Amino acid sequence: MIPQLPRLHAVTDDRVVARGGLAARAAELAAAAGPELAVHLRTRILGGAALLDLARAVGAALTPHGSWLVVNGRADVARAAGARAVQLGRGGLTVSEVRRVAPGLPVGRSVHDIAELRAAGAEGADFLVAGPLFATASHPGEPAAGPGLVRAAAATGLQVLAIGGLEPGDARAALEAGAWGVAAVRALWEGGEPGAAARAFLEALPAAATLPVTVNGESRLVPAGTTLRGLLAQLDLDPRAVVVEHNRRIVRRDGLESARLSAGDAVELVHFVGGG
Amino acid sequence: MTTTVMAPAFQDTPLVVGGRSFRSRLLVGTGKYQDNATMIRALEASGAEVVTVAVRRISLDRSKEDGILHHLDPTRFFLLANTAGCFTAEDAMRYARLAREAGFNEFIKLEVIGDQKTLLPDVAGLLEAARTLVKEGFKVMAYTNEDLVTALRLEDAGCAAVMPLASPIGSGLGLLNPFSVRTIKARLAVPVIVDAGVGTASDACVTMEQGVDGLLMNTAIAEARDPVAMAHAMRLATEAGRAALLAGRMPRREVAVPSSPSTGMLS
Repeated sequence: MIPQLPRLHAVTDDRVVARGGLAARAAELAAAAGPELAVHLRTRILGGAALLDLARAVGAALTPHGSWLVVNGRADVARAAGARAVQLGRGGLTVSEVRRVAPGLPVGRSVHDIAELRAAGAEGADFLVAGPLFATASHPGEPAAGPGLVRAAAATGLQVLAIGGLEPGDARAALEAGAWGVAAVRALWEGGEPGAAARAFLEALPAAATLPVTVNGESRLVPAGTTLRGLLAQLDLDPRAVVVEHNRRIVRRDGLESARLSAGDAVELVHFVGGG
Repeated sequence: MTTTVMAPAFQDTPLVVGGRSFRSRLLVGTGKYQDNATMIRALEASGAEVVTVAVRRISLDRSKEDGILHHLDPTRFFLLANTAGCFTAEDAMRYARLAREAGFNEFIKLEVIGDQKTLLPDVAGLLEAARTLVKEGFKVMAYTNEDLVTALRLEDAGCAAVMPLASPIGSGLGLLNPFSVRTIKARLAVPVIVDAGVGTASDACVTMEQGVDGLLMNTAIAEARDPVAMAHAMRLATEAGRAALLAGRMPRREVAVPSSPSTGMLS
């Protein structure tokens, strides 16, 4: 299982990179959001050496605040710059190729439709960036995938970041669809006050956050506030047909409604099978 | 006209374990069957009232309905949960507690396995788990080896039944040590039920002839070519062994004694 990702992801594009001043702006975002921020360095206009220089500069701006640097596509640059994760888009390396180049780094995969989602699952991606939730300036003409894709991505149990035209006011909708966090380009890299924008996102995030839990040994994300009874309902399990152990403590049927899950909880759901 | 009422040829007392009374002295497992329909037919043919089940994780993707309660009517069979697969006292106690929540009674077939290859019990772990579970109100039926002292300690710990093996689980080697099993039966007040190792009907019969109170088996039936027919055979063999024991066998003699009169022979 990969560590919990930050919940706010500031993703660059070629325009943002071309404009310059990236490291300074990243420092402002990091000062506001600390460990809840990841900056995704995504650009195709820089060669390896220039990208590595930029990655190092941005990384140096983020590290003091505990924020993450994520490099898109270039696993070699990610490794050299000490990035915390690699993010893969269309036409990039495969997950297994990245693992060879940068072993141990979490690998994310961008998914735009159900077919890409399936492919990402088959490849063994560690987390997903799903979208566009809304129509965006960076992908003109592309139809919005909507919350359905985020829901489908969340059903894999992986941590999902919703992307695509998101403003702070949209964070809640993304999380309600099952996203672990949100990713934004314009809302964080444009405008005069990056710190205020980051804070506005974070204020909207805790209201409906998801929690990583382990159920029968499998990592899963559940919406905050989920009760054990709610978990059984999500899994389509009849409470009469299962015994629930919550952090090694048996919870009886009449206690399922009041027991809420916390991050890192371990749940075991058992029943009788044939045996001698 | 007179009516003659025939007394039944053989009438047994019930098997009483932990205050529960059972007509059948054959207890059977529910594992390893090819399919559930065959398992149910075999259980019926065995005449068993007590059937064992295991506690395992439910499959979350619901791709397979592997729960046994869909197939096994708990009002018809007495479900005895086991702690199979547990290698520490702590694990076995955890499974026992889960089983009690899932189940319908406070009985547990306690196994603490000490060796992966032979599945022989870890008697230190077994005693530790038995003592704790008895304190928690469990009726513990302890799977153990054929060691008298361990059996005595398990009885002292408050176990409802002590279950020495005939031979290793799933081996089908039959009763390897009749002397030890007889010794255990002679010394214990709680029921002694031989658990594991029976391979075929003659093994069951010989085991019951040692005087034990019951017999628990799984693989010998489930892995037979025809499990239903083997279950039937095991029922008869268990009853035959029990009846022969109660009937009292003739003495063993190292000389022949004619069965037919030696008088009245033609000259």
